[in-house]
Amino acid sequence: MIEAVDIHKQFRTPVAKEGPFAGIRSLFARDYRVKEAVNGISFTLPEGEFAGYIGPNGAGKSTTIKMLTGILRPTSGLVTIGGMNPHKERRKVARRLGVVFGHRSQLWWDLPVKESFELLGAMYSVPAAARRKREGEMIELLEMSSFLDTPVRKLSLGQRMRADLAAAMLHDPDILFLDEPTIGLDANAKESIRGFLRTLNREYGKTVLLTTHDMDDIERLCSRVLVINDGMLRYDGTIPELRERIGLPTVIRIRFQREPNVPESAAVGLTPLRASVEESAADLAGAPFRIRKWEGRQLTVECNRSEVTAMEVLRAVSEWGDVEDVETSEPEFEEIVRRIY
Amino acid sequence: MNLVRLYVMLIRASIRSRMQYRFNFWLSTLLATLVNVSEFLMVAVVLVRFDGIQGWSLYEVGYLYAVISLSKVIYRSFANDVHNLDRYLVNGELDQLLTRPLPLLLALMSQNFRIMLGETIQGGGILAVCLVMLLQQGQVGWIAIPLTLWIILTGAMILFAIGLTTSTFGFWLTKVEVLQTLTEDAARSAAQYPLTLYPGWLRSIFFTFIPVAFANYVPSLYVLRHEYGPWLLVATTAVALLCLAGVLAFWRVGASRYQSTGS
Amino acid sequence: MLFPVLVRKAYRVNLQYRGSHLVHNLASSLFGFMYIFIWMGIGATHELEGYGVTGMIHYVGFNQAALWVTGFATFGLGIPQRVRTGQIALDLMRPVSLFYQTALREWGQVAYQFVYKFLPIYLIYAIVFSFSFPTQFSTYAGTFAALAIGAYLAICIQYLVGVLALWTTESGWFHWLNYAFLMLLSGFFVPVEWLPSWLRAISLHSFYPYLQYHPVKIYLGHESASVLTGGLVWCVGFSLVCAMVTWLARQRVEVQGG
Repeated sequence: MIEAVDIHKQFRTPVAKEGPFAGIRSLFARDYRVKEAVNGISFTLPEGEFAGYIGPNGAGKSTTIKMLTGILRPTSGLVTIGGMNPHKERRKVARRLGVVFGHRSQLWWDLPVKESFELLGAMYSVPAAARRKREGEMIELLEMSSFLDTPVRKLSLGQRMRADLAAAMLHDPDILFLDEPTIGLDANAKESIRGFLRTLNREYGKTVLLTTHDMDDIERLCSRVLVINDGMLRYDGTIPELRERIGLPTVIRIRFQREPNVPESAAVGLTPLRASVEESAADLAGAPFRIRKWEGRQLTVECNRSEVTAMEVLRAVSEWGDVEDVETSEPEFEEIVRRIY
Repeated sequence: MNLVRLYVMLIRASIRSRMQYRFNFWLSTLLATLVNVSEFLMVAVVLVRFDGIQGWSLYEVGYLYAVISLSKVIYRSFANDVHNLDRYLVNGELDQLLTRPLPLLLALMSQNFRIMLGETIQGGGILAVCLVMLLQQGQVGWIAIPLTLWIILTGAMILFAIGLTTSTFGFWLTKVEVLQTLTEDAARSAAQYPLTLYPGWLRSIFFTFIPVAFANYVPSLYVLRHEYGPWLLVATTAVALLCLAGVLAFWRVGASRYQSTGS
Repeated sequence: MLFPVLVRKAYRVNLQYRGSHLVHNLASSLFGFMYIFIWMGIGATHELEGYGVTGMIHYVGFNQAALWVTGFATFGLGIPQRVRTGQIALDLMRPVSLFYQTALREWGQVAYQFVYKFLPIYLIYAIVFSFSFPTQFSTYAGTFAALAIGAYLAICIQYLVGVLALWTTESGWFHWLNYAFLMLLSGFFVPVEWLPSWLRAISLHSFYPYLQYHPVKIYLGHESASVLTGGLVWCVGFSLVCAMVTWLARQRVEVQGG
């Protein structure tokens, strides 16, 4: 179980001096600017939870993760991992955690993958027999047998990520912290890693906290989402709830052959307004979409795909004129996060 | 004990990593030897010509030079990345080390083992020549050999303490390059020659803030010149242990500051 | 014109680090102090023929400062890094020769180091040991010419080291090799005439004395600027070699297709 109670983290960054002898003067006295990186965050993750932790860059995600793993100490507030304080008992807590940083590897760069496993096994004092058994399971789950003898520096990014995940699991931690584990991977590699994480969570009952910029990761894996921005928790709940609250909009751009005849009731909705297009087919009654922009022949509408399909929207708008071209774009992750507040 | 075994295991892994680049290793060994030898030759030429400095013969100065070189080899082989802590601070690799169930210092020290064969050959060679000559001249007895090994070891402890102290300042200053030039490079180079060469204020720095004097000069006074008495070696060992204890405490302060500031 | 533009730009780039360089100067001047104290120690009991203790202090102080002009040129003039990034193919395709481009950039660096390293470091020694300064203008002119020749030779050497990176990834080691010879043969710490005969012979047949020994001797008034003729011959020789190597480098990159 992971528990964070009202944690704060302030950073002081030195302000560069200007003027003559700036370099020398800054050696002796510095001015600081205080930045509130994490500003009162509380949550509890019960055992077996798979939580996604999202937010824009600089929102305080990594700072939170660092406080949870015992790398940083909170300015105030309390963190407990399985009942222990990760700062007072860093080394003990470290044994119960698996940590993977996506843009960094904990493997030995010049040595074959399996040697890294041996070394990590020793570091976490896993008995050799137990380690070999777990190693075997991981190799099978992650399909790693083909590159076990390859030096890490020669692995592809996807292979390296799989090896890193296996390495983090060798000491059988109950909690996994994953910081952007799918960053830079191609679709196949992402899928294989997601499959592995799902197994860990569903079948082995591991508690997982995942940060990512990939909305697919969140939708396919997480039972719960935490959204952070400006150091504060803006949302904590399930994905369907989040979807409902934000309305994950799909944007559809339609070009008509001639200027369309948009009915008064819908056109008013150039400001946020849900337009029910009643004059269209009955099954569309009440299906919401919103006109974002209308300029001559060009119409841009937003809709929520969970409530209405693109085809239905298209059918509705085609009542207003002959459609020439259609282009749809899926909701942007950053857009969703921006809309949380 | 477990930690020691683990350290040895990690060091061996680091050596295996190094050995992946065999050609590079041998070439670097060769050139490191050459650079170091020519550096020593530069001074040796003077000592030969002027028959020593301030009553210290060529072999005595060579001894001072070799002892501190070998101490440095031990320090930089076993704790190389202590010297490079600022790199870990800048690129954030220290965070990775903090997720391991090891004391931070041990995790750092076991990152990289440097095989300084060139420096070992050079230092060892000079030491052997100097000791043989001093033995032949009857200036020292056989007991000097084990004593010298002990001095090299305590010297390594002192250099390690100086290096770690300097790096620990990195938790506050981030960049410690200039400081390292002062406390590690300049001070150690100065200690390659009899400290009586230097004016009083500089000498007193080498006995206090940057205690390189205890790494080779002070113990040599007894081993080579039979001044004071055997207690001198006991005293330098005590100084080395004291330095170690002090720096470990300082290191803990620095590391905990890192954990509270993250910078 | 290209020449002053490139030199000035390289000079300006360095200016932003001026503050930290000045602090760094204090640290690096310590090495010079150490060498000076060694000579003072020797001078206490020996006559340092031809120099005297004061002369030797000037000698070592000047050389330690001059290292920043004639000794510490940028490793490979930055070429090895450009080889690694592939930038080198573009550099070689420019209408200006690679040697000319990189050497000009380095002249800017040298000019910067002359002002912000050589002068302050020498000034530190001059104040601490109350140096006397030459009174004749011709001495300064001669010293300046000697340093310029030394700097040019250093640039050529680093250029050759740099271009080697096109053939081997280990060019860094030649940099160290050069450093080792520099320490031993240039008269940096020991005047060349005091070297044992075999080393002296090697030194006098090499270009290394033109990096340190001749500049300081001219500065101290021991030699006249006419010794620089030899230095100029070395400069011409190095220029030819550099031009030839540039041609070879072009061939090699063209063969590899960039």
